[in-house]
Amino acid sequence: MKTLFNVQSLKFAVAALMAAFVLLAGFAGSAHAMLTAKANHDHITIDFFYHGSSVSIKGIADAGTELAIKVTSPESHQTMKKKGKVGGVLWMNVGTLSFEQTPNFYEVFSTKNIDEMLPSSEQEKYLLGYPALAKHVEINGADGESDRMTWFKEFVKFKEDQHLYLSSAGKITTTALPDGHQEYFILTDWPYQAAPGEYTVTVYAVKDHKVIEQAETKVKVEQVGMVKTLATMASNNAAFYGFLSIGIALGAGFGVGLIFRKGGGAH
Amino acid sequence: MYLYLPVALTSINILIPVGLGLAVGLLSGLFGVGGGFLMTPLLIMFGIPSTVAAATDSNQIVAASTSGTYAHWKVGNVDFKMGIYLLVGGFLGGLVGVQAIKLLHAMGNADFVIKMTYVIMLGVVGVYMFIESLQSMKKKKTESAAAPAEQKESAVGRFLASLPLQTRFEKSGVTHSALVPIVLGAFVGVLAAIMGVGGGFLMVPVMVYMLRMPMHVVVGTSLFQILFTCIEVTFLQAYTNHSVDFLLAVLLLVGSTVGAQVGAVFGRKLKGEQLKILLASIVLIVTVKIVFELTLTPSLLISQAGGH
Repeated sequence: MKTLFNVQSLKFAVAALMAAFVLLAGFAGSAHAMLTAKANHDHITIDFFYHGSSVSIKGIADAGTELAIKVTSPESHQTMKKKGKVGGVLWMNVGTLSFEQTPNFYEVFSTKNIDEMLPSSEQEKYLLGYPALAKHVEINGADGESDRMTWFKEFVKFKEDQHLYLSSAGKITTTALPDGHQEYFILTDWPYQAAPGEYTVTVYAVKDHKVIEQAETKVKVEQVGMVKTLATMASNNAAFYGFLSIGIALGAGFGVGLIFRKGGGAH
Repeated sequence: MYLYLPVALTSINILIPVGLGLAVGLLSGLFGVGGGFLMTPLLIMFGIPSTVAAATDSNQIVAASTSGTYAHWKVGNVDFKMGIYLLVGGFLGGLVGVQAIKLLHAMGNADFVIKMTYVIMLGVVGVYMFIESLQSMKKKKTESAAAPAEQKESAVGRFLASLPLQTRFEKSGVTHSALVPIVLGAFVGVLAAIMGVGGGFLMVPVMVYMLRMPMHVVVGTSLFQILFTCIEVTFLQAYTNHSVDFLLAVLLLVGSTVGAQVGAVFGRKLKGEQLKILLASIVLIVTVKIVFELTLTPSLLISQAGGH
């Protein structure tokens, strides 16, 4: 019994030692890992005079790493109309496509072309770049893989046209620091078309074609003041909003009519 | 200067909606049409989502048609009685039209049927109005003004005269069975609901050619009728789809209410035939534009689906 206890305590001691070692190794790793990310303008407010903004993202990374920055909105379901030729001549809507687990907003910036930085397996793992996103997104309403890719490309074109999707290489600047690290910086235009919500900025440090570190920050876009009041009223108090819209229109119509009558009478 | 639109969720240079409002309001006061067939595609072109564009345009038309109806009423060019009969018909027709759309969607290829109906209607109406007003302009030149126009007693005319509930419409100077404007109003209502447009460009020719109303009274009466239709549409759009952008509507109506007044004043200086031929030309231009849209390869093959 006593011997058994001793064996057990020995096992326990070994396990505790191993755990401590793993923990220590972990600490050593995290002390070495030092990728940071900060968005300078992380709370964008939308008032009547909002016409987009700019967001800069900067941080510190290990020297010798390549960087990729991804800015996305939460994934959602999106329904789109697809145009096609009817009778071989007329272009019109020929059906709908529903895109599942698709971000409404998706921007990727990288120090080099993403294909040179990462193999497709890594791109897919971290959802970096359009080809990776294409594999991730589910499209209902497309027939077969080639049709699916055609419509994904059209979808990206549509989103790029609305300034909601972007893939760009070479815009991130890096500066070597005396302590052997590097500072990275990017200034991006924040499009006014981006809807209110919370956006996630993820920075990836890449070495030897592998993502070795990640850091995350958020950008919040929010309507304020009268814009918020009107938007909230339109959805939460729709009947009153409808009456108000009609009332103002009737008032304006009569008002202008009266002004013109007075103007006309003077002559 | 740019303003952010809370429901459209986009920013727009205020000169764009004010300018568009002015131009479309002018057409509205001049011809008695709502102008949705021009305004909605233009708004979409300037980055407004399609559902918001259509709903907000109807809100804006409430203002423009109030302004226009007021301007025409001042000079006695609104036949309220006829307007109300047409409205009753239009309301019934709208109900039928909504069901017809459901049926079309259930049958598939609804878009094809709707688009083709729209193009054909626009084309036929435009060509007919253009030729007819051109002929009557020529005729007016050759005939002396004193000669009274011969009333053609056609079979259709005799049939219409035999219908019950014959009523005199003083303002328009015509006598019809009360059923005639109701049925015609319903016909336009069905088509307008199917095509998703206000129907002014259909209502105007119906009043001119089928109800035989004088052009100037047609314009005022059409605006009166459009006013009520658009009040209903605005409310439904705001209540069910939350797609009316109040701020965009205000920017549009700043231009359109003034435009409607200017149009009404300008219209009084033109003869009925001149007004008709101008409207016919605009309808034909819109038809050609839609035909081009249908045949040229679009730059984007995907678009936002309506609703939520």
